Amino acid sequence: MSLPADFVITFAPLAPALTTLVFGMATLLFAVFEVDRRANASLALVGVAAAAVFALYLLMQGQVGEAYAGFGLRYLADTPAAAFTLIILLGTALAILVSKADLERLRLDHPEYYPLILFSATGAIVLASAGDLITMLLGLEIMSLAVYALAAWRQESRQSQEAGMKYFLLGAFASAILIYGIALTFGAGGRFDFAGLAVAYASPGFDAHVLGALGAVLLLAGLGFKVAFVPFHQWAPDVYTGAPTPVTTFMAVVVKTAAFAALLRVVGTVVSGLGVGTAVGEIVWVALALLVGATLVVGNLGALLQSGVKRMLAYSAVAHAGYLGLAVLGVEGIGVRAAIFYLSAYTLMTVGAFAVLSALTNDDDRGDELERFAGLGARKPFLAASLAVFMLSLAGLPPFAGFIGKILVFQAAIAADYVALAGLGILTSVVAVAYYVRVITFMYFREGGSEPIRPLAPPLRTAIVVALVGTILLGLLPGFWLGLLERGQVLLGSL
Amino acid sequence: MIPTLLVVLPFLLSAVLLLVRGEVARLVALAGAMLTFVVAILLVGSSPIAVPWIPGFGVYFALDGGGSGGFLALVASFVMVPTIVWASVRVLDRPARFLAALFAMWGGLMGLFLARDLVLFYVFWEITLLPSLVMLAGWGGPQRRAAMLKYLLYAVAGSFAMLIAVLALRPLSGAASYLFDDLMLATTVLDGQTQTWLFVGFVLAFAVKLPIFPVHHWLIDFHEQNHASGAADVAGTLYKVGGFGLFAWALPLLPTGAAVAAPVLIALAAFTAAYAAVIATRQRHLKRLLAYASLSHMGLVAVGLFGLHLAGLTGAMYLLAAQMVTTGGLFLISGMLHARRGTFDLSAYGGMAASAPALAATTLFVLFASIGVPGLANFPGEFLTLLGAFQANVGAGVVAVLAVIAAGVYGVGLYARLYQGPESARVSDFRPVEIAVIAPLVLATLVLGLFPAAPLATFEADAAITVARQATVTAGTLPDVVLVLQGAGR
Repeated sequence: MSLPADFVITFAPLAPALTTLVFGMATLLFAVFEVDRRANASLALVGVAAAAVFALYLLMQGQVGEAYAGFGLRYLADTPAAAFTLIILLGTALAILVSKADLERLRLDHPEYYPLILFSATGAIVLASAGDLITMLLGLEIMSLAVYALAAWRQESRQSQEAGMKYFLLGAFASAILIYGIALTFGAGGRFDFAGLAVAYASPGFDAHVLGALGAVLLLAGLGFKVAFVPFHQWAPDVYTGAPTPVTTFMAVVVKTAAFAALLRVVGTVVSGLGVGTAVGEIVWVALALLVGATLVVGNLGALLQSGVKRMLAYSAVAHAGYLGLAVLGVEGIGVRAAIFYLSAYTLMTVGAFAVLSALTNDDDRGDELERFAGLGARKPFLAASLAVFMLSLAGLPPFAGFIGKILVFQAAIAADYVALAGLGILTSVVAVAYYVRVITFMYFREGGSEPIRPLAPPLRTAIVVALVGTILLGLLPGFWLGLLERGQVLLGSL
Repeated sequence: MIPTLLVVLPFLLSAVLLLVRGEVARLVALAGAMLTFVVAILLVGSSPIAVPWIPGFGVYFALDGGGSGGFLALVASFVMVPTIVWASVRVLDRPARFLAALFAMWGGLMGLFLARDLVLFYVFWEITLLPSLVMLAGWGGPQRRAAMLKYLLYAVAGSFAMLIAVLALRPLSGAASYLFDDLMLATTVLDGQTQTWLFVGFVLAFAVKLPIFPVHHWLIDFHEQNHASGAADVAGTLYKVGGFGLFAWALPLLPTGAAVAAPVLIALAAFTAAYAAVIATRQRHLKRLLAYASLSHMGLVAVGLFGLHLAGLTGAMYLLAAQMVTTGGLFLISGMLHARRGTFDLSAYGGMAASAPALAATTLFVLFASIGVPGLANFPGEFLTLLGAFQANVGAGVVAVLAVIAAGVYGVGLYARLYQGPESARVSDFRPVEIAVIAPLVLATLVLGLFPAAPLATFEADAAITVARQATVTAGTLPDVVLVLQGAGR
């Protein structure tokens, strides 16, 4: 007797997540037995690289139309999932490099750090690969638990403790909302898996539209916390500012990528399915559009008002959630590809900006005021030029990756008939130019900066160079990555 | 191949110049400028290219060296060579970096003129902004920060408005790609109102970069604060590409939008031309005077374009090409004067014709060309522009003629204040390098003035596309208010 297909475990799609999990445990053992701590970072990097090899293999399977999935479409390794996994691993690797350079200096080099990073990355990969509401919840919790601890990593700092506490409380609240949304969705569709839900919603006899819409809105709200949609963004500025810079780097890119991957999949299947032939389904789209519009405005205006660069980047992370939200609105067209590209660009330029920031801050991880950047252009030409590139790319000016990303998400939204919202996105981009360019004007126009700047640590330099080269190459030659995605295979939703 | 090379080569040279210093940088810049110009000459007869750039989103890396854009690219390249020679001797502070920025502008401008894909055009439009900002920021005068912020704000606000229109154009029209030909096929389905909104988006960007009143404020400070050599001003003059954007993209793609907006815009354009020329007569700062003079020319270019008649469209592009040479030449001469006297304040000048007769004669010659004396570069363009203006709207034509008259006043007045009257100082006449810089421009002024036929035919072929599409805009598709406005204009 053979088991039903749902119970046969295919290990191939799980390979990246299992790899980070195994290496997470290995680094934990290293940590317990007090093996050289610097070796721990290297081991974590090896783990990430190994996981990336598997993810690349899964991506290539998608190219030939043989994408893997496990547990009967409940765990997916199609092109979007594999691409998001790769972005998560890229973000993790760069965050590890920043950590390796800075943890010791910041006196934060506790042995549990790298295991927690890898466990969180494992959760992020599961979240991005989820094809089922329960899998999604599991991934989200695994990812978040580790980050709660990491956000409070600086034990002697009230700010960091507050960050951890705030993130934990609001995160728990968000999980509760998400679980409630899962329950209502299950009540409406009778299934947990996205494929089954989409079928149930589209079936002729389906009559629980209101319940389904309510569930979907709560799902959006729950995931909205993690991606920092306004008005669920309140934690982001404080947590990003309070957490140690290497941790902020990790949160800003990895957590956001994974949460958007899940959001795109949920909206592309469950919400789309609900919208078939009903007016109630429209409500969910309207709610999403309102969230995106508010995020664009609040994120950009918030960033404009900040005087600290770290806090400005925190608000800018909120603003970028708005631009990614435009891609989510276009999920039935080209939105997923646009979002994958945008997140690739976002990961590179955000890590780059945080890496430059952490090269300048004090040993207590403070000192991110704009004044500190005065005269940087003359004193540290490489750092200043790199940061200028990251800022211009974040602002969405060509020829950098951020520009192509913005073009794609605007186009995704316009193609889905959200022309006004895309217009709002472009309008707020003008505001964004102002606050990003302000950093550049301080670096090149203001004299000043007498305090010594320490030499750049080699891992930090590596992270900055990788981010710099990536930001420029993705901007000049977006065709490689986009062509790969275009030829890919998607098992649920659209690409 | 040649168009791609012409776009990529300046950027490569720019990157090389960031790595080298001193005399080596000067040699690289001079050799590179010659090489790039040779490539620009090869544009004639080159074959266009189009390869997918952003697959799945209909964006191509498409360049075409033929047509109007090719000729403008050739003229701009011709002006860039003496500019780079002049910058390499006159910019003493970090010359290699300055030259790198000039080459980056060169590459961006080539992309702008040659792009046949709308998104690619937008990309080069924005890329070119960065080096022009860098030159102003790194080598500008004492108030450069304010000038830069003003410039940046106008430019970015305008271009993002255009970005909305660019991105909406393909989804709304259902075009297969952003290639010009595909867009031309598809945009016929757009109704009048959609076209008008999209056209407004384009015009916001193009009006800033033309520039015309009331979005011209950045231009004056931009020129006043740029480096005293005048080299950055020449690059800025070449970057006044709003007219080209209208001619090559907005007018042919959105005929109804153009027809709706033209009556208002032609009035603004004519006002700009006259107003700037009158203000120019009152200026005491040499570069501010030249900036207003340039603004007046741009008003004339816009008058020709918004007339939407064959003569005006053709003439506007010819004037755009000619003023690259003449305004560019005047800015270079302003740099030569500054090198002698260390100031742009006109009240400090006077009577220099006695000690520098050749410089005085050359200045007069280029000034004459600039104000549209027949036989010299600006005349054919100005004449056709005014002809088109009278065909479209007699009122606008009359106001534009006032601009030409005022141009005579400021042109002759400028010469008198610089070279006549009591002698303010004895100065040296042309140095050899200055002759090398200005002689090609003087020659081009003559050639453009005496042999306009071939380029005019090129421009006319492209202008005919716009005119033919205008003919399809029947009265029934226009809102009533526009018909009233047009009636008033006639």
